[in-house]
Amino acid sequence: MSWMKMTGYADKFSVHPGDTIKFYVNCDGPSEYQAEIVKMIHADTNPRGPGFIEEKIDAAINGTYKGVKQEIYSGSYGFVVDKPQFCVESVTLQCWIWPTTPKTHPKYWKHGAQGLVTKWCDGKGYGLFINEDGCVEFRVNDQVITTGAPLRDHAWHFVAASFDAATGEAVLYHEPQVVYALDPEIPPVSKKLSTKLAYVAGSPTVIAGYCGSVTDSPLAKASVPQGVLIKGHYNGKIDSPRICNRALSRLEIETMKLGAQPGLSERRNSGPTGKLSEAIVASWDFGDGINTLIGKDKGPYLFHATIVNCPTRAMTGYNWEGQIFDWKGAPEQYGAIHFHDDDIDDARWQVSFEWSVPKGTSSKFYAAKLTTKDGDEDYIPFWVVPRVGEETAKIAFMVPTISYMAYANEHLANNAGGAELLVYRVPIMQQQNMFLSEHREYGGSIYDTHTDGSGLCLSSRLRPILSIRPKYDHFLAQAPWQYPADLHMIYWLEKKGYEYDVITDEDVTYDGLARLENYNVVISGSHPEHNSGPQLDALHNYMQRGGRFMYMGADGWYWVHSYHPAYDKQGRGIVTEMRRCESGIRTWRADPGEYYHQGTGELGGMWRFRGRYLHTIAGTGMSSEGFDISTYYSRTPESNDARVSWAFEGINYDEKLGNFGLVGGGAAGTELDIVDTMLGSPPHTLVVATSAGRHTEGYLLVMEDYGFNQQGLDGTQHPRVRSDIAYHETPNGGAAFAFSSIAFCGSLPWNNGDNNISTLVGNVLNRFMKDGPLPMPEPAAIVHRGRADYDQPMNKARK
Amino acid sequence: MIPIPRPSTDDAKRMIKEHKECIDSMKGVAGNSVLKCATPGDTTVVTGGIHEDFQLNRVLLRMRAAPAKGKLVVVCTKVEKEWRIARLSGIRGVPPEFVTDKVYDNEQDPQHDIFLMRLEEYPETDGFPEHFREGWKRRDDMWTVT
Repeated sequence: MSWMKMTGYADKFSVHPGDTIKFYVNCDGPSEYQAEIVKMIHADTNPRGPGFIEEKIDAAINGTYKGVKQEIYSGSYGFVVDKPQFCVESVTLQCWIWPTTPKTHPKYWKHGAQGLVTKWCDGKGYGLFINEDGCVEFRVNDQVITTGAPLRDHAWHFVAASFDAATGEAVLYHEPQVVYALDPEIPPVSKKLSTKLAYVAGSPTVIAGYCGSVTDSPLAKASVPQGVLIKGHYNGKIDSPRICNRALSRLEIETMKLGAQPGLSERRNSGPTGKLSEAIVASWDFGDGINTLIGKDKGPYLFHATIVNCPTRAMTGYNWEGQIFDWKGAPEQYGAIHFHDDDIDDARWQVSFEWSVPKGTSSKFYAAKLTTKDGDEDYIPFWVVPRVGEETAKIAFMVPTISYMAYANEHLANNAGGAELLVYRVPIMQQQNMFLSEHREYGGSIYDTHTDGSGLCLSSRLRPILSIRPKYDHFLAQAPWQYPADLHMIYWLEKKGYEYDVITDEDVTYDGLARLENYNVVISGSHPEHNSGPQLDALHNYMQRGGRFMYMGADGWYWVHSYHPAYDKQGRGIVTEMRRCESGIRTWRADPGEYYHQGTGELGGMWRFRGRYLHTIAGTGMSSEGFDISTYYSRTPESNDARVSWAFEGINYDEKLGNFGLVGGGAAGTELDIVDTMLGSPPHTLVVATSAGRHTEGYLLVMEDYGFNQQGLDGTQHPRVRSDIAYHETPNGGAAFAFSSIAFCGSLPWNNGDNNISTLVGNVLNRFMKDGPLPMPEPAAIVHRGRADYDQPMNKARK
Repeated sequence: MIPIPRPSTDDAKRMIKEHKECIDSMKGVAGNSVLKCATPGDTTVVTGGIHEDFQLNRVLLRMRAAPAKGKLVVVCTKVEKEWRIARLSGIRGVPPEFVTDKVYDNEQDPQHDIFLMRLEEYPETDGFPEHFREGWKRRDDMWTVT
């Protein structure tokens, strides 16, 4: 069954009026397709809601286009273009490796030999490989020697090989760095070969792969270098690869581990000895330039490798001592790159069409809608965002694009058996999931593990992201999630006739406070979980100066993200990075020593453990999650406080708030936030409604809130498994309203937007969008409040 | 550990009935739990199911925790219209395969059919010492790790 014949992406998420946005479309089969620009209003197809709503935009590019297939060449590697110095007669290769999939299942998507350090193509050249049996292999043209000793996965090995053209002698070394008591010895293997090294013209030297073919096929323009298709992608770490132009002795190989160290000679020629300096072709040091896309060659030719598809760097090397945990403090212990056969930083497709966004185009959610006469369909979402200073409304909706990237092409329902345990029902997959289960080259999300099982910590937006699509229900909610869920709010704004602009995480990260300060109120998405530091700074600065903020969801401000600076020249926010460190809800866990971002060098993990408590942003922070069904809220006595009672005009005290909705059937569901003055909620925060006591056993307290495994953590038992709707004032007439549930916005479209959740949100927005500072509360409200005022006696430990 | 009773036992029959009533009551909810809505399609009041039948609760947990290889899933084949049951391959790059020809007109019914299929398929006592195998040394113990 063919699931999606069309897929596509754009070069931008956020485009200004007057600028151009390029679209890249893969149309695999149909001879032509129609493209049109649409404004997105409601993406949820649930028959109990208003249904799918889009508006066609009269755009110059609307029309019929020729269908062209485009391929993604995923898998990371390093390469140096063909140079005569690599075309040696005799050779020695060496490196350390930490393979993750030395042996793969015959049906594994890239089953076969893996290249380590190769100048080999089509039976010509030399290279170190891992063969299909999981053993190290040395190829000299079409001749092969192997140790016959399988590599242990997830362990360091030193591997080396030499070939002497004069004698024909080839030697292969495989020296495990971890040797257990019952491991057999692996002696070097030598063999006389009767061959003379020959080379395919134009074939590059490759690290973590080999040159599969050189072709002028139009599809291969998406490969790097163009027209050269890399095969045999390696899964695992490589550290300190070296190539020398003669057959070194084992002692010389040992010395060569030191690399091209000019410091060992006062004449500063390459080292490590004078004799070896004459033999070095290349000696790479991946500990230098960790935040770049270059693999530094410290040898005499400066054959710096171009690193393609953004493998994971800042990874512990073979020599990591476990004393220094930040790569910046000991880059020489971080000389490993972890390559994956499904890494992807840019699909590099040919442009299919481009739209020059007319000046005056309203700032909204848009998409390029692609259809064929046979009923095929895809949407490429984007956002028109005003330039700073050219805002057109008092309201801004902040699209959580970093969170969209974190969830991009998520595979959990297919990869992870635990997905069902998490959602408490059998997951439902859609066409997007089915397509991705077969097309691993589209890459995964930061929730996934790579195809080799290691954590995925980098996500690019320059690829089709099939989770950012309308008409897409996510297995987590059995309802819209992220992009289509945020359109619940957009539908409501449209339905109620509000004028609003849209801005993205990207815009706020790069523009800071300037991006926010001209709006009276900023509205978040339903699940702004993943955030950059500059974005959080901007939100705090905005509210400090009187800005108003409506936090429409939950599990926000959770993970540390940074955009990889090496991609800035291609545009804003191309690749985002995140590391899952020692706490928080993690679908995978970073290895020791690998907590610092390769891009910015900052400590990854939860903002909480960087001292930025979640609850400081909007007053509430993540307490629990569960994904089976949602429930409703009840008002608390604090909702009658004059500081906030205006929000409940038209709502009776005893009304069930949100016992309906398009996500789980209620407003309080999936992921929930609560007030906690010990975790950053301002002490004057008012809890105006709560869902306490109503959640199912499927809901569990977050692990960072307790230190001891214990019973009683689920929604039928634990009082902190709840959502609190909360309000607090900020200085200069600012304020924050936190609705504290990802399902919350799913209630807004219910009954065509006529319901008590809609009334509550309308009251808040109407007040927050007014010009000038909000009215000051009565003087009696201004009192000294300690965080511990709310605490039980004898229980004042902060944790 | 709680054994998974054979489908023909009274325990299994009781659980099957309870499960079916819960799933039927969830029709119309954008979500699902093995709990009974007091008003069908409305989660305001939910009772029974996993909250009150301890054995059903534990049996479902064991079924849900199984690793990906061979695990049953639901696939939506036409948005809001058609659903089918498939099985995960557990191999990266090999997509799920449909295991029955039955096409469902709602997203809840396959949940119950999968429960019935698993009662047939699951060993009663997996996880006890007599089932020890080498895979336990690398977490292949029928309880997936997230």
